[in-house]
Parts: sequence; C-alpha cells; structure tokens
Amino acid sequence: MSGGGIGVEFSLKNLPNMLPGLILCAVFGWLALQWDATMSGWNRDFKEAEKILKEVNEGKAPVTFAEYKQKQADGFAKRTEKFKADEAKFKEAVAAGDKTAKAPRKPSKPVVLQEADFNEVVQAKSIPGNLNFGNLMISFQLTYVAMLLLGGMLIRNTVGLPEVFKAGTVAARPLIKPGIIILGALYMWSDVLKVGVLGLALVVAFVMGTQVLISYWGRRANVDTGLAGVMGAGVGVCGVSAAVAVAPVVNAKPRDFFYAIGTILLFGTVALFTFPYIGKALGMSNPVYGAWVGTAVLNTAQLVAAASWYSHESLLTANIINIVRVGFIPLIVLWAIYFYVVKPAVDAGHEGQKINVWEVITSKFPIFVFGFFIMVSMNEMGLFTAEHRSILGSDLLKLFFAIGFAGVGLNIAFDDLKKAGGSAFMIGVVSATLKAVLAAIAVILIGGAAFEVKG
Amino acid sequence: MSEETNKSDYEAKAKSTFSAERKEDYFVLALATITVALVLTGVIGPNFFKSLFF
Repeated sequence: MSGGGIGVEFSLKNLPNMLPGLILCAVFGWLALQWDATMSGWNRDFKEAEKILKEVNEGKAPVTFAEYKQKQADGFAKRTEKFKADEAKFKEAVAAGDKTAKAPRKPSKPVVLQEADFNEVVQAKSIPGNLNFGNLMISFQLTYVAMLLLGGMLIRNTVGLPEVFKAGTVAARPLIKPGIIILGALYMWSDVLKVGVLGLALVVAFVMGTQVLISYWGRRANVDTGLAGVMGAGVGVCGVSAAVAVAPVVNAKPRDFFYAIGTILLFGTVALFTFPYIGKALGMSNPVYGAWVGTAVLNTAQLVAAASWYSHESLLTANIINIVRVGFIPLIVLWAIYFYVVKPAVDAGHEGQKINVWEVITSKFPIFVFGFFIMVSMNEMGLFTAEHRSILGSDLLKLFFAIGFAGVGLNIAFDDLKKAGGSAFMIGVVSATLKAVLAAIAVILIGGAAFEVKG
Repeated sequence: MSEETNKSDYEAKAKSTFSAERKEDYFVLALATITVALVLTGVIGPNFFKSLFF
C-alpha cells in the first residue's frame, strides 16, 4: 500500500523512539538534495559550455567574460519584454472570452557560467571537469533519488543501522505520502479523469488480473491457499500491507507468510533499481514509463521512487495510477474472502458466509488519497498561483520525498530479502514479472499521449 | 502453533497494521494541510527551498 509504517505507530508517545531515525533521514535527505542541486547546476552549465564551445569553434563567441554576461542579460531583457507583450495580449483575449488563448510562459533566468569556467571554455577550448562530471551523473540518472536508495542500501548492508535509528527510519517512509498529496496541486480534474480511467483499466487488467491468476494457478498447482492468497494480494496490489490484510482471511501459515513478504520485497527492490534503466533502454517516454511503473511496481514508496528516478513527468502519471491502485485494496480483500472462504463453502454445499462489503471498504480504504483529490479540486478552483504550484509540486515535494526515500533505502536489508523462498518465490516472481512484461507492452501500445498530464 | 492461534495472531496483526496505517494517514493529512496553509499564507515562499542549500 504505502511505504508503510508497519510496526511503528504515529503517536507522541513513540516520538522519542522515532526522533533519532527521523533526524538521520532528514540529514541524508538534505545531503542528497545538495548533491542533486550541485549536479543539476553543473549539468546546466555543461550545456551552456557546450553552446559557447560551439560558438568559439565557429568564431562567434564573445571575447571577454563581461561581454558574455552582457549578451546573456540583453537576451533575457528581450525575452522578458516579449513575454510582457504576449501576456497583455493573452489578458485581452481572455477578457474578450477567447477560451483557446494560451498563457505565455515566463522566461527563465539565463544560465551564466562562472568566470573561471567561461575562460577555460574560451581559452583552452575545453569543458571544465566538474561540468563534465555533473553531465555524466545526470545522464546516468544518479539524482538524489538514486543516491538515497543506493546509499541507504549500502549503509544498511555494510556498516549496518544501529538499533536507535531503526524505528525512525521506518517512520520516515510514510513522509512520501504528504508529497503525494501536495503533488495534487499540479493536476486538473481533466488529467486525473483522463489518466485515471486508463489507469483503472490497467489496474483491473493487471492488478486484479494478477490476484485472480495466482488464486487459480495456486489452486491448480495444489499450493496452500494461505500462501496463494497472501502472494496474490501482495504481488497484485500493493506489497506488504495487502498481504497482511489478506493473511487472516486465507489462514496463511507463518512460514509461507514470511516467504511471500520476502519475495514481494525482493521483486520490488529489483524493480526499483532496474526499471528506470529498462525504461530508458526501451525508449519509453516519460508518461509511458510513469504508467508502466504505476502498474508494475508493487508498493507506493518503491513506485514513487522508481518514477521520480526517471523524471518529474513520469511521477505525475505514475501518481494517478497509484491512487487508483491503492483504492483497490478493499476489493482485493473482498476477492480473497469470496475465493477462499465463501466459494469453497458454497461448493461444498454449505451456506456461504455473508460479507459485510461496506465494513471491508471503510476499514481498508487508504484515506490519504482524499487529500490528493482535495488538492486537485483546489487547483481546479484556481486557489494556487504558478508560484504556489512550483513551491508545492517541486520544492516541498522533493523535501518530503528525500526524507521518505532515505527511509526506504535504509530499510532495504538483504536479510529480509533472503526470506524469499519456497513455492511462493516461484509463483510470486513469475506472476510479478509476467505482469511487468505485459503491462510494458500494453502501455507502449497505448502510447504516451494517453498518459500525459498537462496540469 | 495451532491453526486457531495463527488465525487470531494474524487477525490481531492485520487489525493493528490497519489501525497504525489509519493513524499514519491522519498524520500525513494533517502534515499536508499545514504545509499547504504555510504556502498559501506566504510563510513558505519561493526562496525557502533554495535557502536550504549552498
């Protein structure tokens, strides 16, 4: 379901236990964002340096740094003037009732190289090493997301995580959820409905499909019903939380339950680290990749991380599909009750147990998604300016995600993954892989335009 | 461990998990509300994020 604060209850009483780990995640998050800002800056400067180098080779570049700075300032002033004129025209068109008029985009401040970097480009005709490094890191997608996940995993499995930090790092993972909520400021209802309807089709086909497939496959292969039920819920919808929700319904045995959880965690971890590169290798556009991870990655924290790793645009698409997906948890529990409790009873000639559908829905529905819908509605009502949207959907989003991703990375313990095993491993991995492959084919065929979020 | 004990263990585990997750959801909703209020009132402005880094 979520990054899941399973085992850590949010309460003031627990705060002293959680505080050291939360502070650790905040520090790691800050360091990773600092890295991200530096690398992005160097990457931006690299592109500017490349442009200047091209001009130098063509004999067009300004000779001195002062001339270069002036040229950049003049260009910006020109673009600002044009923006003001376009904005006035846009306002007139809107006042005249023209609904097709498009708001002009405010010009961004020009990139101006440091004097030393500029001189190196112009005089030595080479790009400074740090700018090359930044470009390399960004091209390998080693952003703050990768640093936190890889770094966290490395620390956890080498030097280890002292006990005092454990509760807090687990509690940090749900901080991804406020990020998901405030991201709602970037959507219009038309986006949510357009991508949501397709997302619904994908969720029904692949998420529910996986659950049903594992149920029938498990029965045919004489796999224990408990194991098949837990695995179906976990692989189908959302990892550990769904598996825990279904476990009592299907009478899962402890050993099978932990096998299933290990398998789900293992697949999720492998998916998290490989999907961004598979997406690039397959040439997936941002919306297509977002739709793919939204359907194929098993839990919210890993899904959000895998999408953010790729691009912000991918995250916008993946987030809607994830909202639809987590809304399916009550239905997965209902399916488990029907398939493992009601149907066998009816088949055996007994009266089927009545299901309190409403009770299941209200107790299992993840209510944080209402926050997301409220944000979308507020944006639709025009309560957010472009500046608000930028602060919420970019700056603060990164802060929440960075702390949450630090928690995710620090909680990837190889010991937990080793618990994967038994027949659960085979069923889980084959089903999850099948779901990922079929979902990739489906979203590629549907195409990026259908999943694009315009905002 | 008997089957009955397993069932009650899991029921208890599932209940406590969902109770914890429900609390967690209320917490994140409150946190998101405070965040949005701070942005809308201008307490968190456009330079806030940049000011956190070198």
